[in-house]
Amino acid sequence: MDISLLAQFTVNGLMLGMMYALVAVGFTLFFGVLDIIVFSHGDVVMVGAFAALTGHYWLTGIYPDMSMWVELFFISCISIITVAAFGMIMAKTMILRLRSASPLNTLLATMMLGTVLREAVRLFFPGGSNPKPFPVLLPDISASFGDFTLRFDSVILFVLGALLIVSLHLLITKTKLGMAIRAVAQDEETARLMGVNFTLIVLITFAIGSAVAAFAGVMNGLYYNEINFGMGLLLGAIGFSAAIIGGLGNIYGAILGGFLFAGLQTLGAVAMPFASAYKDVFAFGVVILIMAWKPTGLIAEKTSERV
Amino acid sequence: MSTNTTNSLSGVLCSFAFAGVITALMTAIFIVESQLLIAGVLLGTIGAIVISSKFGVTSIILKSLGENENLSNALAVLVTLALIVIFYDDHYVLFILCTILLYSVTVLGLNIQLGYAGLINFSGAAFFGVGGYTAAVLSQYHSIPPILTLVIGGIIAAIVGSILLLPILRTSGHYSALVTLAFALLFKVFLDVNDSLGGAQGVDVGSFTLFGWDFGNDITIGSYDVSFYVPYVLASLVMLCVVFFFVRRIERSWIGLCLDSVRIDEVSSSCFGINIVRWKIVAFTIGNFVAGLSGALYASILGYISPANFSFGDSLMFLSILLLGGIGNLWGTIIATAIVVVLPEKFQVIQEYRLFIYSTLVLLMIVYRPVGLLPRKTRTYRPGESS
Amino acid sequence: MSDSLLQCTGLTMHFGGLAALSDMSLHINKGEVLGLVGPNGSGKTTFFNVVSGIYKPTCGTVIFDGKDITSESPQAVYNHGISRTFQLSRLCLELSVFDNIMIGNHKRLSRGFISNIFSRRKFNEEYEDGLKRATHILTALNPELANRMFDVVSELPMIDRRRIEICRALISKPKLLFLDEPSAGMTHEETRQLMDEILNMGSYAKGLSIVLIEHEMNVIKRVTDRCVVFNFGQKLFEGTYSEVIADPAVQEAYLGKEVE
Repeated sequence: MDISLLAQFTVNGLMLGMMYALVAVGFTLFFGVLDIIVFSHGDVVMVGAFAALTGHYWLTGIYPDMSMWVELFFISCISIITVAAFGMIMAKTMILRLRSASPLNTLLATMMLGTVLREAVRLFFPGGSNPKPFPVLLPDISASFGDFTLRFDSVILFVLGALLIVSLHLLITKTKLGMAIRAVAQDEETARLMGVNFTLIVLITFAIGSAVAAFAGVMNGLYYNEINFGMGLLLGAIGFSAAIIGGLGNIYGAILGGFLFAGLQTLGAVAMPFASAYKDVFAFGVVILIMAWKPTGLIAEKTSERV
Repeated sequence: MSTNTTNSLSGVLCSFAFAGVITALMTAIFIVESQLLIAGVLLGTIGAIVISSKFGVTSIILKSLGENENLSNALAVLVTLALIVIFYDDHYVLFILCTILLYSVTVLGLNIQLGYAGLINFSGAAFFGVGGYTAAVLSQYHSIPPILTLVIGGIIAAIVGSILLLPILRTSGHYSALVTLAFALLFKVFLDVNDSLGGAQGVDVGSFTLFGWDFGNDITIGSYDVSFYVPYVLASLVMLCVVFFFVRRIERSWIGLCLDSVRIDEVSSSCFGINIVRWKIVAFTIGNFVAGLSGALYASILGYISPANFSFGDSLMFLSILLLGGIGNLWGTIIATAIVVVLPEKFQVIQEYRLFIYSTLVLLMIVYRPVGLLPRKTRTYRPGESS
Repeated sequence: MSDSLLQCTGLTMHFGGLAALSDMSLHINKGEVLGLVGPNGSGKTTFFNVVSGIYKPTCGTVIFDGKDITSESPQAVYNHGISRTFQLSRLCLELSVFDNIMIGNHKRLSRGFISNIFSRRKFNEEYEDGLKRATHILTALNPELANRMFDVVSELPMIDRRRIEICRALISKPKLLFLDEPSAGMTHEETRQLMDEILNMGSYAKGLSIVLIEHEMNVIKRVTDRCVVFNFGQKLFEGTYSEVIADPAVQEAYLGKEVE
């Protein structure tokens, strides 16, 4: 295979991986603090993209000749803030109530919650049942190396995503808030006894995770220039897969899982050029194999049971 | 084996009366077209249930039905037969009946997996679909008798399921959920892109033929033109009865006890000699077989299937029915299936919003009444016997 | 030691770097009640888990009734005739009393599809037999409980749950019974009552060897023939109750070193 095509695939794979990692991080954060899978997280990404689109309609209505960068900044802020608030409300009204339910019930309930979000956008967003064009807010510059074109907007998005992950990592490991989140994740009872406000920390965690998801949604819209109400289901499934194969409750695992899944999809497309439509079949097939090989994920969750 | 005969007469009468009411209610729901009237009937039903619960009538009915199970089962069959007779020429109603019966079969299969052995299966619709596609392929060969087609459909589903056995046995909890979830998505994408099975457009399924008689043609009995769906409804009813009997017997045997024990506590199960691996394999395989079995018949009835019939959303619907009816309660499953299937079909106003309303309802259900409509009862191995 | 039923030699169990059990050798004779005492975390429960097959020992051997059962699966150990209760009650709370007891009777139940589902004659025989035996043991333990055979366990008080656990362990007629802190979560009075009941089991307890983990020293005093004191995964002392309480090393382990 020629080198420029390979480079193209690598860049695309990295972009996808960054998006998946951002989604998977949310899954693993929520699992950390509450021990439940919030499957609707993929649809929260979709809501983030639609929130940004709404922001775009609104802003361009008021200031038609706003510069690209300013608008990008503002619609990202709008999306992140609304979705973070939405995540907190969701956690407070729904997710916290599900804690006593069985793992199956919570999984099913959050899947239903995802369906509700999806359907709500389809039914109540103007023209929501059709794919919506997403505004182009990044300069359309690209550099060509032979057959390989590096789009400038991809580079920006990738760098922004990486910065977000690094700052999230710093937040979790270096700040007092991060310490509280880790304490809750490790042992809720003890954290409470040590004076950590459990509900508050859970809500903040949901705000953070949802904000990251909103960013992933904006990123998705900018990258594909199109969003639709159903995009969250597959993103959620992939984010969940990534968090699980990485090993739940571990942020590095989620990032690893995200890039791994994107790598698998890319590999599927490269290795089977005659049948690149099978790339998802291949990726999910390998996910099943990984589960057979490493039943608790690549970076195993620490569990112990007292007999 | 002493069934109490003294108070059974009133119980029998009560059961008969209840069966009559259900028949009348179902008939009304099927006949009425006006959305306003449908809403009226539904509200009336809900009102009647609320009021009768308040005055203890519901518990009397449940007690009467539970007292003599054989009679109750026979009455349920009778109600279905009565509906078939009433709607003998109505393709639409008969098709809905088929759907209820066969979805119930599939959910009973999932019940063995999840309700008893605690194995979560997010690809129920996929195994349902394996059965369907098997029927589609086999229908090209007219010499295969229908019953064999169904059984092969079930067997293929069980074989496909066995691919997942290793990861399922090794994982637990959320990790195990991922395995079937990944398979459900994989299966749907596979069908979409695989041209030899019709791709996203789908594939025709030939109707059943038996001794030169084509199930796809209407039948004339005397001066009545009977819908071609009638034999299919009867076949679906037989299938539900057989599977129901089988699942009931599993529950009321040591097999059911072992499965329960495996679900609740693997460590203590193994300390009392229960072979966890064996029972998980048994439960998973039987469940998939049952799903494939019903899928094969359903595809033959539809006459045409496409990947859209077997999406992840459908798997989710099967699981929701199980949860809605009350995990482990077989009658709850059938009632929940009827509600989930009939409501959006008849209540056209909500057609557009049905997924929205339905997922909201399931969500609320899980939050506020996680045991479902009819919670599972404590096991009695030999019903009717007072201990 | 011809009448030795269980013979453990050099049992060692490492969890990562932690030795929960190191070089533990002990035996139990037929018909004997052996008490295991020692502070929390001294390896008593680990010993149970290793012998009953939940953990595979790092090294050492377990000989039961003349057969080497080291590292066998819990299922195999049960089938050899060792049965147990758990420190934290592990009953199936949503099942009936009868169901829970029948799980313990698994050895005698047929697992085939024919007898369970289609031809129910064999099932009915097993059912009658199981019900009779369960009633017999429960009556010996507590006659009132025997009348609640088809009640859900979650509705019963702690002491009844302990009784059911013991009944579940006894119904398979094991040769050796492990009782892991049967008094945990109960009052002194309840514990006394329960131990009386176990000792009065009559035919079911005849010839049965029991290994008992217990913190209540008066229970140990009353029911055990011999005691083994655990400390830091090792055997600190072995002897009768009166020898144990007189031993200065045991006193030190329990009460700490005396300050002079």
